[in-house]
Amino acid sequence: MLRRVALLALVGVVALGWIGAAVEIEFWHAMSTYHQENLQVLLDKFHEEFPDITVIATYQGRYGDLEAKIGAATVAHELPVIAQVYENWVTPIQEILYPIGDYMTPAEKDNIIDGLLPSTIYDGIVKTLPFNKSIMVLYYREDLVPTPPTTWVEYVTMSAALTTGDDDGDGFPDFYGTGFRPVNPELFLNFLDQAGGDILDANWTEVLINNEAGIAAGNLVADLAPYSFITNEYMSNHFPNKLAMFIDTSAGVRYNREAAENAGVTMGVARVPAGPVTQGSMIQGTNLAIFDVDYWTEEQKQAAVVFAKFLIRDDNTVFWAIRSGYQPVTKTAYATPEWAAHVASTPDQVAMSAQMIDGFSQILHPAYGDMRNIIATAFEEILAGVATAKEALDAAAAEIELLLDE
Amino acid sequence: MAAVRSTRYYVYRESTIRVLLYLLLFAGAAVMLLPFVWMLTTSLKTSAGVLSMPPQWIPTEWKWSNYIVAWHTSPFGRYFFNSFFMSGMTTIGEVILTILAAYAFAKMKFLGRNALFTLLLGTLMIPGQMLLVPNFVTISRLGWIDTYQALIIPWLASVFAIFLLRQFFRSLPDELWDSARMDGCGRFRFLWRIMVPLAKPAIVTVAILKFIGGWNAYLWVLVMTNSELMRTVPVGLVSFSSEVGTQYELLMAASVLAILPILILYFFTQKQFIKSFARTGIK
Repeated sequence: MLRRVALLALVGVVALGWIGAAVEIEFWHAMSTYHQENLQVLLDKFHEEFPDITVIATYQGRYGDLEAKIGAATVAHELPVIAQVYENWVTPIQEILYPIGDYMTPAEKDNIIDGLLPSTIYDGIVKTLPFNKSIMVLYYREDLVPTPPTTWVEYVTMSAALTTGDDDGDGFPDFYGTGFRPVNPELFLNFLDQAGGDILDANWTEVLINNEAGIAAGNLVADLAPYSFITNEYMSNHFPNKLAMFIDTSAGVRYNREAAENAGVTMGVARVPAGPVTQGSMIQGTNLAIFDVDYWTEEQKQAAVVFAKFLIRDDNTVFWAIRSGYQPVTKTAYATPEWAAHVASTPDQVAMSAQMIDGFSQILHPAYGDMRNIIATAFEEILAGVATAKEALDAAAAEIELLLDE
Repeated sequence: MAAVRSTRYYVYRESTIRVLLYLLLFAGAAVMLLPFVWMLTTSLKTSAGVLSMPPQWIPTEWKWSNYIVAWHTSPFGRYFFNSFFMSGMTTIGEVILTILAAYAFAKMKFLGRNALFTLLLGTLMIPGQMLLVPNFVTISRLGWIDTYQALIIPWLASVFAIFLLRQFFRSLPDELWDSARMDGCGRFRFLWRIMVPLAKPAIVTVAILKFIGGWNAYLWVLVMTNSELMRTVPVGLVSFSSEVGTQYELLMAASVLAILPILILYFFTQKQFIKSFARTGIK
């Protein structure tokens, strides 16, 4: 207890800028376009409030590039003090994550929304903080979909009804009911969760992906496949001219809305259709990780804690969410007047907020990255019709079992 | 009379073939140019016009300001300088080192020559991505992270270029060296005064490929640098794209600016470029 009080006092000292020497910390991120502009606003605000801490924010390319760089920097001892990370990037190096939770009050930790907290905890300690978190929701054309589907059955039925014939004779429907990006296996993981399934059991000893729930999720994908526009490009490149509805991250709302407005149609946002067990949806986006390495001083790590906590403070997480399409990450942020006003003026946000509360995060298994690739292959095979749900998921399960054996 | 008719028929036939040939070439050129035209027109569209259906070939509203916005999105002035400097230095360095190495492998006899050459060729089989982490560690140990050394020195030698030039040198007769030696010419002088001028098409190919490769380098630059001051044009281009969408009109405006130096280089070296590729068989 005494230790915790002392540590919190230290954070307080840093937070108030009472330490003599200025501290400089490097922050690697993958925020570009609109998001980078918004991040800069937050950085400017931080520097005003904490003049003794200088955050050097460096854009490190897209997520894949940032992941590669963090991987290389780990080996070369060139990590920054703090970085944006997906959970599975740092799960294998969790022992060098700074225990941010030790410098937070219980109230601060409890304030993180329930679906996000599990993905920040390693060995019982909060070691990352959620930052740019989005949730998968259903985008649809209001002119074609007056009432969005709320169940799997409705989703399949409406997709079939909205899919047109092949007037141009290219061998494919001219317009599709829905669409999928095979590179995004989180779409399948949504269905898996909705069917009551999971990749592994709670102890991570047994593979469950090909059990009854998994096959149900796979069969849904197979049922939707004939009515699905399948592409690895952004759906906003094809919506609303090529398809009527699709499931995508809330972070893409600006691009999707622009695409609809440019085509002169109105876009709606709804919760994803419910499966037999849940109406859950996978939370996307990155956390903030501070690296507990000996080439950064304790002052720098503490300064990074201050910065991370600043970013998830109610006013800042609300600002970030309003501007970006990402979602607030704290419970009290949802109760702020600013957020209430935003929700009132932005009907899309109602469904996003409701979906976020029911969101689930990726598992923190060290081999999740490899599992994700395996699931992506199975997802693509089912969509392409080259394997049945059972065949594809049995093969995926066998491969995941090998990973567990390793 | 029959002879006149035959001549007319011949001229008619030749003209028809020529017209068909030109039509075919025109069609081919149009197909090749289409992406560039699309890039140019997209760079002048509004965001609404970029993905409109049916596609807009000519913008309904010409948005020249895309170029100004794109230019100011990132420090492109610095990026262009860095790209020029990195591409130029690596090209000069690689050409010099490649000439020396290729000549040694082609015309000089020394112990282990073939084994060493085979070893070099073997390194071509290793995917670049696999080497990224070890290279990063090496650069880090040398203290070169975020420096021009990191961007230039590792790219001063290329096994592919050595292989290409070695093959070209080998096609030149050994008698040239015999004659030069009889006239009192040393190895070094023979290389630079006789071999290099004769191998000009292959050397130009190596230089052009290197410059383009350097100009387009992305992952290496991103990984080896941290500050904006050290980044190059391709890194700037990626900043128009995110995980959830792309600002196509700005990306295309910046892309037009990015390919301008390569286009200018091509216009100035067009003849040499075509000749060198034809001589070396590179496609």
